[in-house]
Amino acid sequence: MLAKVVSFGLKGVDGYKIDIETDVSNGLPHFEIVGLADTAIKESKERVRSAIRNSAFEYPVKRITVNLAPADMKKEGAIYDLGIAVAILSCNEENKIKNEKDFSFLGELSFDGSVKKIKGLLPILISARDMGYKKFIIPKENCNEARFIEGIEVYGVESLIETVQFLKGEKQIKLVEICKFKDIISQEQFPLDFSHVKGQKMAKRALEIAAAGGHNLLMIGPPGSGKSMLAKCFPSILPNLTFEEALEVTKIHSIAGELDLKQGIVCNRPFRSPHHTASTVSLTGGGTNSKPGEISLAHNGVLFLDEFPEYSRHTIETLRQPLEDGVITVARSNATITYPANFTLIASMNPCPCGNYGSKDKECKCTPSQITKYLAKLSGPIMDRIDIHIEVENVTYEQLKSDKEEESSAQIKKRVDLAREIQLKRFANDKNFSNAKMSAVQTKKYCVLDESGEALLKSAFDKLKLSARAHDRLLRVARTIADLDGEENILARHIAEAISYRTLDRKYF
Amino acid sequence: MNEKDLFIYFLSQFDLPVNKIENILEKMGQDYSFSHFCRLNFKEISVDVYKKMVERADERLVKAYIENLEALNIKLVCKLDEKFPKKLRGISEAPFFLFYKGDLSLIDRHCLAIVGSRMPSNYGRRVTEKFTSFLAKNGLVIVSGLAYGIDSIAHRQTLNEGGKTIAVLGSGFNNIYPPEHRDLANQIAEKGLILTEYCPSTKATRYTFPTRNRIIAGFSDGVLITEASIKSGTIYTRDYALDYGKDVFAIPGNIDSEKSALPNEIISSGQGMCVTDPKQILNALNIESSKQNTNNFSSIQLSFEENQICSLLASGAKNIEFLEKNTNLSINILNSCLTILEIRGIISRMPGGEYYLK
Repeated sequence: MLAKVVSFGLKGVDGYKIDIETDVSNGLPHFEIVGLADTAIKESKERVRSAIRNSAFEYPVKRITVNLAPADMKKEGAIYDLGIAVAILSCNEENKIKNEKDFSFLGELSFDGSVKKIKGLLPILISARDMGYKKFIIPKENCNEARFIEGIEVYGVESLIETVQFLKGEKQIKLVEICKFKDIISQEQFPLDFSHVKGQKMAKRALEIAAAGGHNLLMIGPPGSGKSMLAKCFPSILPNLTFEEALEVTKIHSIAGELDLKQGIVCNRPFRSPHHTASTVSLTGGGTNSKPGEISLAHNGVLFLDEFPEYSRHTIETLRQPLEDGVITVARSNATITYPANFTLIASMNPCPCGNYGSKDKECKCTPSQITKYLAKLSGPIMDRIDIHIEVENVTYEQLKSDKEEESSAQIKKRVDLAREIQLKRFANDKNFSNAKMSAVQTKKYCVLDESGEALLKSAFDKLKLSARAHDRLLRVARTIADLDGEENILARHIAEAISYRTLDRKYF
Repeated sequence: MNEKDLFIYFLSQFDLPVNKIENILEKMGQDYSFSHFCRLNFKEISVDVYKKMVERADERLVKAYIENLEALNIKLVCKLDEKFPKKLRGISEAPFFLFYKGDLSLIDRHCLAIVGSRMPSNYGRRVTEKFTSFLAKNGLVIVSGLAYGIDSIAHRQTLNEGGKTIAVLGSGFNNIYPPEHRDLANQIAEKGLILTEYCPSTKATRYTFPTRNRIIAGFSDGVLITEASIKSGTIYTRDYALDYGKDVFAIPGNIDSEKSALPNEIISSGQGMCVTDPKQILNALNIESSKQNTNNFSSIQLSFEENQICSLLASGAKNIEFLEKNTNLSINILNSCLTILEIRGIISRMPGGEYYLK
């Protein structure tokens, strides 16, 4: 007897169709899975056999061969268990399963026959829908993940028995209800708010500009000055995710198995802060079981690298392509995969190895060559991609204890949203959405200076010894400042403010 | 080029002590040919060095060496030349050779050495910048050692003000130390003077720096020590300056600051003069102040906000949080005002984000 059911596999962030072909024939009892399956799938035999037996079905004492087609794609994970079990059961006519061909099956089986949650459901469902598949049977635990995709029928099952009963028409299962993204986005809550941060006006303003224009930012300051705290507050002033952005983010988080299944979709901009001992692969993604890395998990959100120069040189340099193109292409011997990685980089560092360089009350013990070496870890090409660098100072006790009301994230966010709207209009016909991603041509077009601005910029380069590569960055940041100000043109004061966020270009470091 | 000149160039390659050079020249008599040199026997030179000298005692090799110097734009002057700076002739242990790039006549002008710690505090930076720019504007040639910290601040600030500066190296021209300051060295060679007693291939060692300090003290009219710890190499500069009877100036600092220990000690022991205003140095050196003091910002056109900021800064360096609290200006206006004031040269910014009036 031959049976065929449909399932899906993942390549990068896209799903592809897999036919589970099952042949049950007379012969010595044997179970074989073919079609470039990995270990998890090979072990699927044991799970499927136990699940079928423990669900009180008869396990055929025959020769069973399962083929996962297309046979030349390497397949991973345990998501085919349910499909294989259903295919085997439907080979037995006594089970009277007829309409198994109408459905696609996704799910991992447990020995007791229950269906367990899987990774990467959302990208699979989206790709499957685009290929024209309509009906899906998925683990109940994953239902929330499926409720945002329109145009498909999704049934959540808890066990193999329930699945068979449903296929035979003995039991009804409620369709997963479609949920509107708008309804849940209003509930978003951030654990940290800028109103909790006392003082640090300069840093807050710089973060506001970074949020408004999508600029990457570097904070330099002594230990304990609140750099990490500021960075953690940053997502709370970023514009809300749009549904499309949220889907993109959810896809990646779903594949990595980091999705909160209660919510089913990522509705806050992600904030990722890998430790500085993180390996390059854990940041970029890839590996034998290609998985998205930290920078992809930070897609449409924030990648926070604390103690920036402590990351290995190699790791820092791999950020170049994603910072430029918004994607990371991982090439491995068996596949080349492109993951999205469009994030805002927030980095922080001490001014020197001991952390007290330039501090008022503590003496720096580092030798000049130590400081030079420390700063040399940040290569020119990487610094070229960071628009804003600011110094963060220690907060005084008076500031900590002051009762002065600090501006809340919501207030800052309103201004950021307005500035983003201006940019959306400006770039309506372009590929980019933010000032930070302006090309040289666009910079020339949109960042026009009047005479006084031009004169100021020139004298700034002469007097403050700014490096030449700062020029375009300055203009882009000035553009964002002007947008926040609601000004059509960049004025001299915008340029002047932008210059104050270029600490590292100054020669005193 | 006659035989004697060739022989002088030949001798300049070995960093020999002055007395040995003089001995050699004496023994050579009037015959400066290399063959004569090789026939003579020099007891005072160690065997190794003499062997090396004999190997190099070849007209072609010396000519190649001279060409190499010319290609690098390095000039050589020795004690026998008339061009040799008079100020250096007088001192004990005067160098026999000087390799230099730039304008040698700068030495004959009024020179002030500004030296100190390689790791200054913000205070040291600030006062060094302040004193340097005032004195450079008043025509003093600023002398220093191209090291990290105070030295490079003094050189850079002088160049910024369009003044003249002299760097005295503790190594040969091919091994400028620290290497990060090669750019600065080039600028100084172009606009001022950079000199050393060591031949180009000599590397910096811990012994070369103290001895170079005697040259700094030797031709400067005075030595200003802005910030240095008690163990700093600046001590040698002070000692040489005192030996040579030069004026020593010291800027006082906090008594508990390690980096102000040396200037404070100089002041308390009466070795040098305590200076709190750059004008005092001009007076002590009998130089007339050539320009009006431009520190008074009331004569400059300032907007209301800028005026507010400047009056707050008048009482000392302040950070931006303080300014924000005391001016009621929003942070974006404050930032742009501070940048504009900085570009106009009225205020300056230090690492750590503090601003001060120049």
